[in-house]
Amino acid sequence: MKNASFHLNLLKDTEKLSSSPVRLRVILPTLALLACAGMAIWWGVIFTQLMLVKSQVQSIEDDIRAKSQSHTEVLAHQAEVREKKLQVEQLDYYKAGIRKLGEPLAHFAEIMPLRVQISNLSIEPPPPQILQPAGAKVPLFGPTENVETQKLVLVGRTTKETPVVAMMESLEAPMFSDLVTKEKKINSFKQDNATTGNKARLLSFEVEYTIPERRFAK
Amino acid sequence: MKIQLTKDKTIEFNFPRGGGSGGSKAKSDLVGVELFSDAPNGCPTVRLYRKKNTWHLGAADYVNAPDGALPESWEDMRNQPTWELPRHFQAPSAAIAVNSAAGSFGQASSEAILLEMMHGVALVNEPEPATAEPGKRRLGLKSSRAPAPAPKPVQTEASTRKPEFPAEGVPTSENGRRFVVRPFAEEDFHLCASLPEFQSLWLGRLLPEGKRPTASSIQVAESALMASVLAQPSFLESNGNMLVCFVRNESVYFAGYKEGLPVLWRRCPNTRGYLAMREAVIKTLGVEEELVDSVLEDALIDPRPALEPFIHNVLEQLELARAYLSSKHQINVDKIMLLGMPKGVEHWRHSAEETLKLQIIAPAPFDGIQIDKGVNITQPTDFLVALGAALAASEVES
Repeated sequence: MKNASFHLNLLKDTEKLSSSPVRLRVILPTLALLACAGMAIWWGVIFTQLMLVKSQVQSIEDDIRAKSQSHTEVLAHQAEVREKKLQVEQLDYYKAGIRKLGEPLAHFAEIMPLRVQISNLSIEPPPPQILQPAGAKVPLFGPTENVETQKLVLVGRTTKETPVVAMMESLEAPMFSDLVTKEKKINSFKQDNATTGNKARLLSFEVEYTIPERRFAK
Repeated sequence: MKIQLTKDKTIEFNFPRGGGSGGSKAKSDLVGVELFSDAPNGCPTVRLYRKKNTWHLGAADYVNAPDGALPESWEDMRNQPTWELPRHFQAPSAAIAVNSAAGSFGQASSEAILLEMMHGVALVNEPEPATAEPGKRRLGLKSSRAPAPAPKPVQTEASTRKPEFPAEGVPTSENGRRFVVRPFAEEDFHLCASLPEFQSLWLGRLLPEGKRPTASSIQVAESALMASVLAQPSFLESNGNMLVCFVRNESVYFAGYKEGLPVLWRRCPNTRGYLAMREAVIKTLGVEEELVDSVLEDALIDPRPALEPFIHNVLEQLELARAYLSSKHQINVDKIMLLGMPKGVEHWRHSAEETLKLQIIAPAPFDGIQIDKGVNITQPTDFLVALGAALAASEVES
């Protein structure tokens, strides 16, 4: 038997009230409102932060814009400094490449045999350096090659071969290591036909020495 | 909450109502209360709870009536009282049965119900007996003896529109009245109850939200009365095939049941209720009011000469009802249940046996219900409507 068959209930479902002190009908909309308020506050905080970040970005952009001129100048100065440093470095290569020929040349007179007369002592000029290559905006400051080789040419007269050989042997001494190497070539050794006052019989000679390499390095 | 999006589109949000009062599932703890009854001590109220498939009566008492009267018009709705029940009646939900002169309850065909809905008046109410006296106001309500203040049918454009027949058990508002129907065991016949819309709203708000109990059911008193038989052991033993005679102070009703479903509900014509029977004893036998109960119960004075005209009419109508059940529904009635008679059952029983060769059984209203210790009921018949309201609203299946 179904009691419900006799239940003629005139109360609508929508009119039924909850006997619980915690009323979902009240709690749910309240929670929904609180959630909406929470969301609004959250969005407010986010909006405020966004505004703050935007103002910071604006001030930073203004700052950058104001400092861009000086920044450009600083960059130019930094580039100039780098350039100068490079130039100094190039110049340092020359400093490393300095030949100290004065002392060996001072000793050269001491070892000269009596019967040898040096008529000419020359060092051929170094090969030309291309310091303004095509397309370069500024000239180079440094050497274009790392190593530079030159020749020392001794031209003189003598009475016989022995003094010249003695001179050449003396030049092999360590004190002349900065002036000449052992690499040498006798370009000529022959009768000197030039007229002399005592009409003595003289020989002319020409010896070519290779000067030690000039190295452009730190 | 409804939100109208466009002219034609409306979306509706249904927030959960929560608590123990929502939904239509069976309830195991509830209060039944009869509002604006004839009981002089207040509103008869019972608390029923179900334990191990047995109903228990936790409390039964008369409760002070709410302040104010049942509204008789929309203007009276301004005086909406709230009502709280005593602690021992604070079940999760309450079933309210109301005695309203403007209410209606009866059996009717679908057409009759639609007609009633269309006109917005109670048409299924059976006519009051011609001898009815104008009733005095009791507990703020015109007594059911008073002719119902039937409002004039509202002849509006809306009232000419044929309403849709309401779904079973779903309250429907139409033309200022609220209707609810349940099907009979007979095809196209229904039980129909209705109340004015303002009374339904007033009753629905009587018990405040957030405090136990809140209303889960509003029933017309006669509807609850019909359900009061549901826990009776003899009703269950007969498999729900029974003819029951309900005697109230102002009226007598016949109810027929077939396999637990209603097949007959009828007010006994030309017969007033128990109070009229007492008046007959007083007038005929010339006894004092206080002695009537003794006359009806004791054998010192035979009250049958006074009761005969009264009982005779009822028994005639009972015979008609029995014949109807037998011919129409093939229910062979060999005994009739009599409910609601405080005193004098024996005289009815003798008369029935002599006149109709029928057995009358008159069980106590709370038969089939286990009464808790401490529950003291002096006049059980007063609680019949409250009991029926609770049993019907429980919606259990037995």
